[in-house]
Amino acid sequence: MKQMQPRQNYLGPGGWVWAGKYKLERYLYLLHRITGLGILLFLILHLCMTTIFRIQGQDVWEATMALLHNPWFKIGEYLVCAAFIYHALNGLRLILQELGFALGRPTPPVYPYKDALRKKRPWTIAMIAVIAILALVFFYDFIVGGW
Amino acid sequence: MRNTYLRLMQLVTGILIAVLLAIHIVIMHLNAILGFFGVDVTEPTSWESMIGRASQAIWVGLYIALLAVVLYHALNGLRGIILELTPSARTKRIATWVIIAFGIIAFIGGSYVPLALLIS
Amino acid sequence: MTEDSIKQITLKVQRYNPEQDSTPHFQEFLVPVSRGTTVLEGLLYIKENLDSTLTFRTSCRMAICGSCGMLINNYPHLACHTQIEEFHSDTLTIKPLPNLPILKDLVTDLIPFFNTHKSIKPYTIRHETEEMENPTAEFTQTPQELETFLQFTYCVKCGICISACPTSASDKLFLGPQALAQCYRYCADNRDEGWQERFLLVDTDHGVWHCHLAGACSEACPKGLDPALAIQLLKRRLTSQAIGLRKKQQSSPVASPITETKAKVPFPEFTAKES
Repeated sequence: MKQMQPRQNYLGPGGWVWAGKYKLERYLYLLHRITGLGILLFLILHLCMTTIFRIQGQDVWEATMALLHNPWFKIGEYLVCAAFIYHALNGLRLILQELGFALGRPTPPVYPYKDALRKKRPWTIAMIAVIAILALVFFYDFIVGGW
Repeated sequence: MRNTYLRLMQLVTGILIAVLLAIHIVIMHLNAILGFFGVDVTEPTSWESMIGRASQAIWVGLYIALLAVVLYHALNGLRGIILELTPSARTKRIATWVIIAFGIIAFIGGSYVPLALLIS
Repeated sequence: MTEDSIKQITLKVQRYNPEQDSTPHFQEFLVPVSRGTTVLEGLLYIKENLDSTLTFRTSCRMAICGSCGMLINNYPHLACHTQIEEFHSDTLTIKPLPNLPILKDLVTDLIPFFNTHKSIKPYTIRHETEEMENPTAEFTQTPQELETFLQFTYCVKCGICISACPTSASDKLFLGPQALAQCYRYCADNRDEGWQERFLLVDTDHGVWHCHLAGACSEACPKGLDPALAIQLLKRRLTSQAIGLRKKQQSSPVASPITETKAKVPFPEFTAKES
Protein backbone atom coordinates (compact mmCIF):
# COMPACT_ATOMS: atom_id res chain seq x y z
CA MET A 1 0.00 0.00 0.00
CA LYS A 2 1.18 3.48 -0.83
CA GLN A 3 2.13 5.58 2.17
CA MET A 4 0.25 8.88 2.04
CA GLN A 5 1.79 12.09 3.34
CA PRO A 6 -0.60 14.19 5.43
CA ARG A 7 -1.44 17.58 3.93
CA GLN A 8 0.11 20.48 5.87
CA ASN A 9 -2.54 22.97 6.97
CA TYR A 10 -0.63 25.70 8.83
CA LEU A 11 -2.25 29.10 8.54
CA GLY A 12 1.19 30.74 8.49
CA PRO A 13 1.63 34.44 9.32
CA GLY A 14 -1.87 34.96 7.93
CA GLY A 15 -3.05 33.10 11.00
CA TRP A 16 -1.78 36.00 13.13
CA VAL A 17 -4.30 38.21 11.37
CA TRP A 18 -7.32 35.97 11.09
CA ALA A 19 -8.02 32.41 12.09
CA GLY A 20 -11.70 32.64 12.98
CA LYS A 21 -14.16 34.84 14.80
CA TYR A 22 -12.20 35.49 17.97
CA LYS A 23 -12.68 38.33 20.40
CA LEU A 24 -10.72 41.36 21.50
CA GLU A 25 -7.35 40.12 22.82
CA ARG A 26 -6.30 38.31 19.67
CA TYR A 27 -6.58 41.55 17.69
CA LEU A 28 -4.85 43.52 20.45
CA TYR A 29 -1.99 41.00 20.05
CA LEU A 30 -1.90 41.64 16.31
CA LEU A 31 -1.96 45.42 16.75
CA HIS A 32 0.81 45.17 19.36
CA ARG A 33 2.97 43.34 16.85
CA ILE A 34 2.20 45.78 14.00
CA THR A 35 2.82 48.88 16.11
CA GLY A 36 6.05 47.32 17.41
CA LEU A 37 7.35 46.71 13.89
CA GLY A 38 6.21 50.18 12.81
CA ILE A 39 8.03 51.84 15.68
CA LEU A 40 11.17 49.81 14.87
CA LEU A 41 11.03 51.10 11.28
CA PHE A 42 10.62 54.66 12.56
CA LEU A 43 13.48 54.14 15.02
CA ILE A 44 15.86 53.28 12.19
CA LEU A 45 14.83 56.38 10.19
CA HIS A 46 15.00 58.54 13.31
CA LEU A 47 18.49 57.29 14.16
CA CYS A 48 19.68 58.04 10.62
CA MET A 49 18.21 61.54 10.88
CA THR A 50 19.66 62.39 14.27
CA THR A 51 23.12 61.05 13.48
CA ILE A 52 23.93 61.44 9.80
CA PHE A 53 22.17 64.77 9.28
CA ARG A 54 23.08 66.26 12.64
CA ILE A 55 26.80 65.63 12.40
CA GLN A 56 26.88 67.68 9.16
CA GLY A 57 26.08 70.97 10.89
CA GLN A 58 23.34 73.56 11.13
CA ASP A 59 22.47 74.03 7.44
CA VAL A 60 21.81 70.38 6.70
CA TRP A 61 19.88 70.01 9.95
CA GLU A 62 17.61 72.96 9.19
CA ALA A 63 17.01 71.76 5.64
CA THR A 64 16.02 68.32 7.03
CA MET A 65 13.71 69.91 9.60
CA ALA A 66 12.04 72.01 6.91
CA LEU A 67 11.40 68.79 4.97
CA LEU A 68 10.04 67.09 8.09
CA HIS A 69 7.58 69.91 8.78
CA ASN A 70 5.75 68.84 5.63
CA PRO A 71 2.13 67.82 6.56
CA TRP A 72 2.65 64.23 5.37
CA PHE A 73 5.59 63.75 7.72
CA LYS A 74 3.50 65.29 10.49
CA ILE A 75 0.76 62.72 9.88
CA GLY A 76 3.42 60.02 9.98
CA GLU A 77 4.75 61.41 13.26
CA TYR A 78 1.25 61.43 14.70
CA LEU A 79 0.81 57.78 13.72
CA VAL A 80 4.10 56.91 15.43
CA CYS A 81 2.96 58.73 18.58
CA ALA A 82 -0.37 56.90 18.54
CA ALA A 83 1.44 53.59 17.99
CA PHE A 84 3.71 54.34 20.93
CA ILE A 85 0.74 55.13 23.22
CA TYR A 86 -0.92 51.87 22.23
CA HIS A 87 2.25 49.79 22.48
CA ALA A 88 3.12 51.28 25.88
CA LEU A 89 -0.25 50.86 27.57
CA ASN A 90 -1.02 47.47 26.05
CA GLY A 91 2.53 46.46 26.92
CA LEU A 92 1.96 47.40 30.56
CA ARG A 93 -1.18 45.25 30.55
CA LEU A 94 0.82 42.39 29.04
CA ILE A 95 3.58 42.75 31.65
CA LEU A 96 1.05 42.57 34.47
CA GLN A 97 -0.87 39.66 33.01
CA GLU A 98 2.10 37.65 31.76
CA LEU A 99 3.51 37.73 35.28
CA GLY A 100 0.22 36.36 36.56
CA PHE A 101 -1.04 39.55 38.19
CA ALA A 102 -4.49 40.87 37.37
CA LEU A 103 -5.65 37.52 36.01
CA GLY A 104 -7.34 35.91 39.00
CA ARG A 105 -7.07 32.37 40.24
CA PRO A 106 -8.00 29.10 38.54
CA THR A 107 -11.71 28.46 39.03
CA PRO A 108 -13.69 25.29 38.45
CA PRO A 109 -14.98 25.23 34.86
CA VAL A 110 -18.71 25.64 35.40
CA TYR A 111 -20.89 26.27 32.38
CA PRO A 112 -21.13 28.92 30.90
CA TYR A 113 -17.34 29.01 30.83
CA LYS A 114 -15.63 32.33 31.51
CA ASP A 115 -11.90 32.44 31.01
CA ALA A 116 -9.65 34.76 33.02
CA LEU A 117 -9.19 37.24 30.17
CA ARG A 118 -12.94 37.51 29.61
CA LYS A 119 -13.48 38.23 33.31
CA LYS A 120 -10.93 41.05 33.09
CA ARG A 121 -12.27 42.40 29.79
CA PRO A 122 -13.86 45.53 31.38
CA TRP A 123 -10.35 46.57 32.45
CA THR A 124 -9.04 45.91 28.97
CA ILE A 125 -11.78 48.11 27.52
CA ALA A 126 -10.94 50.81 30.06
CA MET A 127 -7.33 50.60 28.88
CA ILE A 128 -8.48 51.07 25.27
CA ALA A 129 -10.49 54.10 26.37
CA VAL A 130 -7.38 55.62 27.99
CA ILE A 131 -5.43 54.96 24.78
CA ALA A 132 -8.15 56.65 22.75
CA ILE A 133 -8.21 59.69 25.06
CA LEU A 134 -4.42 60.07 24.92
CA ALA A 135 -4.46 59.67 21.15
CA LEU A 136 -7.10 62.42 20.93
CA VAL A 137 -5.01 64.70 23.16
CA PHE A 138 -2.04 64.19 20.84
CA PHE A 139 -4.28 64.78 17.83
CA TYR A 140 -5.46 68.08 19.32
CA ASP A 141 -1.89 69.13 19.97
CA PHE A 142 -0.78 68.25 16.46
CA ILE A 143 -3.60 70.36 14.99
CA VAL A 144 -2.96 73.32 17.29
CA GLY A 145 0.79 73.09 16.77
CA GLY A 146 0.13 73.16 13.03
CA TRP A 147 0.53 70.36 10.52
CA MET B 1 16.75 29.86 32.05
CA ARG B 2 18.31 31.93 29.22
CA ASN B 3 15.06 32.70 27.45
CA THR B 4 13.43 33.69 30.70
CA TYR B 5 16.20 36.21 31.42
CA LEU B 6 15.99 37.59 27.86
CA ARG B 7 12.24 37.96 28.16
CA LEU B 8 12.43 39.43 31.65
CA MET B 9 14.83 42.06 30.29
CA GLN B 10 12.23 42.72 27.60
CA LEU B 11 9.64 43.47 30.29
CA VAL B 12 12.01 45.67 32.35
CA THR B 13 13.19 47.64 29.30
CA GLY B 14 9.53 47.99 28.31
CA ILE B 15 8.76 49.80 31.56
CA LEU B 16 11.88 51.97 31.24
CA ILE B 17 10.97 52.92 27.66
CA ALA B 18 7.42 53.77 28.66
CA VAL B 19 8.86 56.37 31.07
CA LEU B 20 11.84 57.70 29.08
CA LEU B 21 10.15 57.77 25.69
CA ALA B 22 7.07 59.42 27.16
CA ILE B 23 9.30 62.27 28.43
CA HIS B 24 11.00 62.47 25.02
CA ILE B 25 7.74 62.53 23.06
CA VAL B 26 5.96 64.98 25.37
CA ILE B 27 8.82 67.47 25.13
CA MET B 28 9.19 67.05 21.37
CA HIS B 29 5.55 67.14 20.38
CA LEU B 30 3.13 68.39 23.01
CA ASN B 31 4.24 72.05 22.85
CA ALA B 32 0.67 73.41 22.83
CA ILE B 33 -0.36 71.45 25.90
CA LEU B 34 2.90 72.11 27.75
CA GLY B 35 2.39 75.79 26.97
CA PHE B 36 -1.09 75.57 28.48
CA PHE B 37 0.45 74.27 31.70
CA GLY B 38 2.99 77.11 31.71
CA VAL B 39 6.02 75.13 30.52
CA ASP B 40 7.69 77.11 27.79
CA VAL B 41 9.08 74.93 25.03
CA THR B 42 10.44 77.01 22.20
CA GLU B 43 10.51 74.94 19.01
CA PRO B 44 12.39 71.84 20.26
CA THR B 45 13.50 70.83 16.77
CA SER B 46 15.37 74.06 16.02
CA TRP B 47 19.16 73.94 15.83
CA GLU B 48 19.67 76.23 18.87
CA SER B 49 17.43 74.27 21.22
CA MET B 50 18.92 70.99 19.95
CA ILE B 51 22.48 72.23 20.60
CA GLY B 52 21.29 73.57 23.95
CA ARG B 53 20.19 70.09 24.96
CA ALA B 54 23.22 68.45 23.38
CA SER B 55 25.55 70.50 25.58
CA GLN B 56 23.99 69.28 28.83
CA ALA B 57 25.37 65.97 30.09
CA ILE B 58 22.05 64.92 31.65
CA TRP B 59 20.22 65.09 28.31
CA VAL B 60 22.99 63.22 26.53
CA GLY B 61 22.95 60.56 29.25
CA LEU B 62 19.18 60.23 28.99
CA TYR B 63 19.33 59.90 25.21
CA ILE B 64 22.04 57.25 25.31
CA ALA B 65 20.21 55.28 28.01
CA LEU B 66 17.02 55.52 25.96
CA LEU B 67 18.87 54.38 22.86
CA ALA B 68 20.27 51.33 24.65
CA VAL B 69 16.96 50.12 26.11
CA VAL B 70 15.02 50.87 22.93
CA LEU B 71 17.51 48.94 20.80
CA TYR B 72 17.37 45.96 23.16
CA HIS B 73 13.59 45.97 23.35
CA ALA B 74 13.05 46.43 19.61
CA LEU B 75 15.66 43.97 18.40
CA ASN B 76 14.78 41.27 20.95
CA GLY B 77 11.14 41.65 19.92
CA LEU B 78 12.12 41.39 16.25
CA ARG B 79 14.15 38.26 16.97
CA GLY B 80 11.12 36.74 18.70
CA ILE B 81 9.01 37.35 15.61
CA ILE B 82 11.68 35.85 13.34
CA LEU B 83 11.89 32.75 15.57
CA GLU B 84 8.15 32.32 15.23
CA LEU B 85 8.43 32.43 11.45
CA THR B 86 11.06 29.76 10.93
CA PRO B 87 11.77 26.34 12.41
CA SER B 88 15.25 26.31 10.88
CA ALA B 89 18.18 26.48 13.32
CA ARG B 90 20.45 27.95 10.65
CA THR B 91 18.14 30.89 9.90
CA LYS B 92 17.79 31.43 13.63
CA ARG B 93 21.55 31.62 14.10
CA ILE B 94 22.03 34.00 11.15
CA ALA B 95 19.17 36.22 12.30
CA THR B 96 20.52 36.35 15.84
CA TRP B 97 24.00 37.42 14.74
CA VAL B 98 22.72 39.95 12.19
CA ILE B 99 20.50 41.47 14.88
CA ILE B 100 23.34 41.61 17.43
CA ALA B 101 25.65 43.22 14.85
CA PHE B 102 23.01 45.73 13.84
CA GLY B 103 22.32 46.57 17.47
CA ILE B 104 25.98 47.20 18.24
CA ILE B 105 26.49 49.35 15.11
CA ALA B 106 23.33 51.36 15.80
CA PHE B 107 24.32 51.88 19.43
CA ILE B 108 27.85 53.01 18.59
CA GLY B 109 26.63 55.28 15.79
CA GLY B 110 23.76 56.67 17.84
CA SER B 111 25.83 57.37 20.94
CA TYR B 112 28.97 58.63 19.12
CA VAL B 113 27.24 61.68 17.62
CA PRO B 114 25.82 63.23 20.84
CA LEU B 115 29.04 62.43 22.71
CA ALA B 116 31.11 64.07 19.97
CA LEU B 117 28.83 67.13 20.07
CA LEU B 118 29.03 67.23 23.88
CA ILE B 119 32.82 67.15 23.90
CA SER B 120 33.34 69.63 21.05
CA MET C 1 -42.09 14.98 16.05
CA THR C 2 -44.23 16.67 13.42
CA GLU C 3 -43.06 16.88 9.84
CA ASP C 4 -43.11 20.70 9.63
CA SER C 5 -40.65 21.23 12.50
CA ILE C 6 -37.91 19.69 10.35
CA LYS C 7 -36.07 22.08 8.06
CA GLN C 8 -33.26 21.55 5.61
CA ILE C 9 -29.79 22.96 6.25
CA THR C 10 -26.90 22.99 3.80
CA LEU C 11 -23.66 21.61 5.20
CA LYS C 12 -20.68 22.75 3.14
CA VAL C 13 -18.03 20.19 4.01
CA GLN C 14 -14.38 20.43 3.00
CA ARG C 15 -13.37 17.21 1.22
CA TYR C 16 -9.83 16.05 0.61
CA ASN C 17 -8.82 12.57 -0.42
CA PRO C 18 -5.02 12.34 -0.60
CA GLU C 19 -5.22 9.50 -3.16
CA GLN C 20 -7.26 11.48 -5.71
CA ASP C 21 -7.30 15.21 -4.92
CA SER C 22 -4.43 17.63 -5.17
CA THR C 23 -6.23 20.36 -3.23
CA PRO C 24 -9.22 20.35 -0.87
CA HIS C 25 -12.62 21.28 -2.27
CA PHE C 26 -16.08 21.83 -0.83
CA GLN C 27 -19.11 19.60 -1.22
CA GLU C 28 -22.63 20.60 -0.22
CA PHE C 29 -25.16 18.31 1.46
CA LEU C 30 -28.79 18.97 2.41
CA VAL C 31 -29.43 17.69 5.90
CA PRO C 32 -32.77 17.66 7.76
CA VAL C 33 -32.47 19.44 11.08
CA SER C 34 -34.80 19.60 14.02
CA ARG C 35 -34.47 21.18 17.44
CA GLY C 36 -31.36 19.89 19.18
CA THR C 37 -29.61 18.32 16.17
CA THR C 38 -25.85 18.59 16.65
CA VAL C 39 -23.37 19.13 13.85
CA LEU C 40 -22.05 15.63 14.49
CA GLU C 41 -25.53 14.18 13.94
CA GLY C 42 -25.69 16.10 10.67
CA LEU C 43 -22.38 14.58 9.58
CA LEU C 44 -23.53 11.10 10.63
CA TYR C 45 -26.71 11.62 8.56
CA ILE C 46 -24.55 12.43 5.54
CA LYS C 47 -22.40 9.35 6.08
CA GLU C 48 -25.43 7.07 6.49
CA ASN C 49 -27.68 8.44 3.74
CA LEU C 50 -25.86 10.67 1.27
CA ASP C 51 -22.16 9.90 0.93
CA SER C 52 -20.53 7.08 2.82
CA THR C 53 -17.04 8.21 1.78
CA LEU C 54 -17.20 11.28 4.05
CA THR C 55 -14.53 10.80 6.70
CA PHE C 56 -14.48 12.31 10.16
CA ARG C 57 -13.32 11.17 13.57
CA THR C 58 -15.85 10.72 16.34
CA SER C 59 -16.31 8.57 19.35
CA CYS C 60 -18.15 9.52 22.51
CA ARG C 61 -20.61 12.15 21.10
CA MET C 62 -20.62 13.88 24.53
CA ALA C 63 -17.54 16.16 24.60
CA ILE C 64 -15.41 13.73 26.61
CA CYS C 65 -13.11 12.12 24.04
CA GLY C 66 -12.02 15.21 22.09
CA SER C 67 -12.15 13.46 18.69
CA CYS C 68 -14.49 15.64 16.69
CA GLY C 69 -12.85 19.07 16.87
CA MET C 70 -13.51 20.89 13.60
CA LEU C 71 -13.84 24.39 12.22
CA ILE C 72 -17.56 25.16 11.98
CA ASN C 73 -18.44 28.53 10.42
CA ASN C 74 -14.83 29.61 10.97
CA TYR C 75 -14.72 28.88 14.67
CA PRO C 76 -13.34 25.70 16.21
CA HIS C 77 -15.94 23.58 18.00
CA LEU C 78 -16.43 20.02 19.09
CA ALA C 79 -19.03 18.88 16.54
CA CYS C 80 -20.86 16.76 19.13
CA HIS C 81 -21.09 19.68 21.52
CA THR C 82 -22.49 22.20 19.05
CA GLN C 83 -26.09 22.36 17.93
CA ILE C 84 -26.86 23.48 14.39
CA GLU C 85 -29.53 25.85 15.73
CA GLU C 86 -26.86 27.88 17.55
CA PHE C 87 -25.65 29.38 14.29
CA HIS C 88 -29.01 30.79 13.08
CA SER C 89 -27.99 30.23 9.49
CA ASP C 90 -29.04 28.00 6.61
CA THR C 91 -25.48 27.10 5.61
CA LEU C 92 -22.74 25.69 7.79
CA THR C 93 -19.17 25.55 6.51
CA ILE C 94 -17.27 22.66 8.06
CA LYS C 95 -13.50 22.46 7.71
CA PRO C 96 -10.80 20.47 9.50
CA LEU C 97 -8.90 22.25 12.29
CA PRO C 98 -6.09 24.44 10.94
CA ASN C 99 -2.46 24.17 12.12
CA LEU C 100 -2.75 20.36 12.19
CA PRO C 101 -1.96 18.14 9.17
CA ILE C 102 -5.02 16.84 7.27
CA LEU C 103 -5.18 13.07 6.74
CA LYS C 104 -8.50 12.92 4.91
CA ASP C 105 -11.62 15.12 4.74
CA LEU C 106 -12.13 16.32 8.34
CA VAL C 107 -9.61 14.00 9.99
CA THR C 108 -6.48 15.73 11.26
CA ASP C 109 -3.26 14.02 12.27
CA LEU C 110 -3.02 14.39 16.04
CA ILE C 111 0.13 12.26 16.47
CA PRO C 112 2.62 15.21 16.42
CA PHE C 113 0.34 17.02 18.85
CA PHE C 114 0.30 14.04 21.23
CA ASN C 115 4.08 13.73 20.93
CA THR C 116 4.46 17.38 21.93
CA HIS C 117 2.25 16.70 24.91
CA LYS C 118 4.42 13.70 25.86
CA SER C 119 7.59 15.77 25.50
CA ILE C 120 6.77 17.94 28.54
CA LYS C 121 6.61 14.84 30.79
CA PRO C 122 2.93 14.82 31.75
CA TYR C 123 3.27 12.47 34.69
CA THR C 124 4.24 12.69 38.33
CA ILE C 125 8.00 12.84 38.86
CA ARG C 126 9.38 12.14 42.36
CA HIS C 127 12.90 12.02 43.66
CA GLU C 128 12.35 8.88 45.75
CA THR C 129 12.67 6.23 43.06
CA GLU C 130 12.04 3.40 45.50
CA GLU C 131 8.58 4.75 46.32
CA MET C 132 7.82 5.24 42.60
CA GLU C 133 8.86 1.66 41.73
CA ASN C 134 7.17 -0.05 44.64
CA PRO C 135 4.50 2.29 45.96
CA THR C 136 3.37 1.77 49.54
CA ALA C 137 0.64 4.41 49.72
CA GLU C 138 -0.70 7.46 47.93
CA PHE C 139 0.78 10.98 48.13
CA THR C 140 -1.41 13.17 50.27
CA GLN C 141 -3.06 16.28 48.92
CA THR C 142 -5.68 18.53 50.49
CA PRO C 143 -8.71 19.73 48.52
CA GLN C 144 -7.32 23.31 48.67
CA GLU C 145 -4.08 22.16 47.07
CA LEU C 146 -6.05 20.32 44.41
CA GLU C 147 -8.03 23.46 43.55
CA THR C 148 -4.88 25.35 42.51
CA PHE C 149 -4.64 23.24 39.35
CA LEU C 150 -7.90 21.27 39.12
CA GLN C 151 -9.23 23.45 36.30
CA PHE C 152 -6.29 22.49 34.07
CA THR C 153 -6.80 18.74 34.48
CA TYR C 154 -9.92 18.61 32.30
CA CYS C 155 -8.01 18.71 29.00
CA VAL C 156 -9.43 16.30 26.38
CA LYS C 157 -6.59 16.88 23.84
CA CYS C 158 -8.91 17.87 20.98
CA GLY C 159 -6.39 20.24 19.35
CA ILE C 160 -8.78 23.20 19.29
CA CYS C 161 -6.37 25.50 21.18
CA ILE C 162 -3.63 24.70 18.62
CA SER C 163 -5.95 25.77 15.82
CA ALA C 164 -6.80 29.02 17.64
CA CYS C 165 -3.25 30.01 18.63
CA PRO C 166 -1.58 32.61 16.37
CA THR C 167 1.92 31.41 17.30
CA SER C 168 1.10 27.80 16.43
CA ALA C 169 -0.10 29.09 13.05
CA SER C 170 3.41 30.07 11.96
CA ASP C 171 5.79 28.32 14.37
CA LYS C 172 5.91 24.58 13.69
CA LEU C 173 8.11 23.90 16.71
CA PHE C 174 6.03 25.88 19.20
CA LEU C 175 4.88 23.64 22.04
CA GLY C 176 1.36 25.00 21.82
CA PRO C 177 -1.18 26.04 24.47
CA GLN C 178 -2.16 22.47 25.32
CA ALA C 179 1.32 21.21 26.24
CA LEU C 180 2.25 24.40 28.10
CA ALA C 181 -0.97 24.35 30.12
CA GLN C 182 -0.36 20.70 30.98
CA CYS C 183 3.20 21.60 31.98
CA TYR C 184 1.77 24.06 34.49
CA ARG C 185 -0.79 21.50 35.62
CA TYR C 186 2.01 19.09 36.65
CA CYS C 187 4.30 21.80 38.04
CA ALA C 188 1.50 23.14 40.23
CA ASP C 189 0.64 19.70 41.55
CA ASN C 190 2.30 19.41 44.96
CA ARG C 191 2.64 15.63 44.57
CA ASP C 192 5.11 16.32 41.78
CA GLU C 193 8.79 17.28 42.06
CA GLY C 194 9.78 17.48 38.40
CA TRP C 195 9.56 21.23 37.85
CA GLN C 196 13.30 21.58 37.22
CA GLU C 197 13.18 19.15 34.29
CA ARG C 198 10.03 20.73 32.85
CA PHE C 199 11.27 24.31 33.19
CA LEU C 200 14.22 23.39 30.96
CA LEU C 201 11.83 21.89 28.40
CA VAL C 202 9.58 24.95 28.13
CA ASP C 203 12.32 27.60 28.44
CA THR C 204 13.47 27.16 24.82
CA ASP C 205 13.48 29.28 21.67
CA HIS C 206 10.06 27.86 20.76
CA GLY C 207 8.73 27.51 24.26
CA VAL C 208 6.57 29.34 26.75
CA TRP C 209 7.85 32.86 25.96
CA HIS C 210 6.31 32.75 22.50
CA CYS C 211 2.87 32.92 24.06
CA HIS C 212 1.86 36.56 23.71
CA LEU C 213 -1.47 36.32 25.50
CA ALA C 214 -3.75 36.48 22.48
CA GLY C 215 -6.26 34.55 24.59
CA ALA C 216 -7.82 32.70 21.66
CA CYS C 217 -7.04 29.28 23.17
CA SER C 218 -9.02 30.00 26.34
CA GLU C 219 -11.86 31.47 24.37
CA ALA C 220 -12.21 28.47 22.07
CA CYS C 221 -11.53 25.70 24.62
CA PRO C 222 -14.64 23.50 24.70
CA LYS C 223 -13.92 22.35 28.26
CA GLY C 224 -13.47 25.80 29.86
CA LEU C 225 -9.90 24.89 30.69
CA ASP C 226 -8.34 28.35 30.30
CA PRO C 227 -4.91 27.38 28.90
CA ALA C 228 -3.93 31.07 28.65
CA LEU C 229 -4.23 31.46 32.42
CA ALA C 230 -2.15 28.31 33.00
CA ILE C 231 0.59 29.57 30.66
CA GLN C 232 0.73 32.97 32.38
CA LEU C 233 1.01 31.26 35.77
CA LEU C 234 3.80 29.09 34.33
CA LYS C 235 5.58 32.26 33.16
CA ARG C 236 5.16 33.68 36.65
CA ARG C 237 6.86 30.59 38.11
CA LEU C 238 9.69 30.74 35.57
CA THR C 239 10.25 34.44 36.25
CA SER C 240 10.22 34.14 40.00
CA GLN C 241 12.58 31.17 39.69
CA ALA C 242 14.90 33.24 37.46
CA ILE C 243 15.10 36.17 39.90
CA GLY C 244 15.28 33.90 42.92
CA LEU C 245 11.98 34.88 44.51
CA ARG C 246 10.27 31.53 44.11
CA LYS C 247 8.65 30.15 47.21
CA LYS C 248 9.61 26.56 47.72
CA GLN C 249 6.68 24.26 47.06
CA GLN C 250 6.42 21.65 49.79
CA SER C 251 6.10 18.29 48.06
CA SER C 252 3.43 16.22 49.64
CA PRO C 253 4.42 13.29 51.85
CA VAL C 254 3.45 9.67 51.34
CA ALA C 255 0.25 8.95 53.21
CA SER C 256 0.89 7.24 56.52
CA PRO C 257 -0.41 3.69 56.59
CA ILE C 258 -3.85 3.27 58.13
CA THR C 259 -3.42 1.91 61.64
CA GLU C 260 -6.97 1.78 62.87
CA THR C 261 -10.28 1.69 61.05
CA LYS C 262 -13.42 3.34 62.21
CA ALA C 263 -16.52 1.30 62.84
CA LYS C 264 -18.63 0.95 59.69
CA VAL C 265 -21.49 3.40 59.47
CA PRO C 266 -24.72 1.40 59.19
CA PHE C 267 -26.99 1.96 56.20
CA PRO C 268 -29.57 4.67 56.85
CA GLU C 269 -32.93 3.26 57.79
CA PHE C 270 -34.87 4.49 54.77
CA THR C 271 -32.68 2.49 52.38
CA ALA C 272 -33.25 -0.64 54.40
CA LYS C 273 -36.99 -0.14 54.47
CA GLU C 274 -37.17 0.36 50.69
CA SER C 275 -36.76 -3.36 49.98
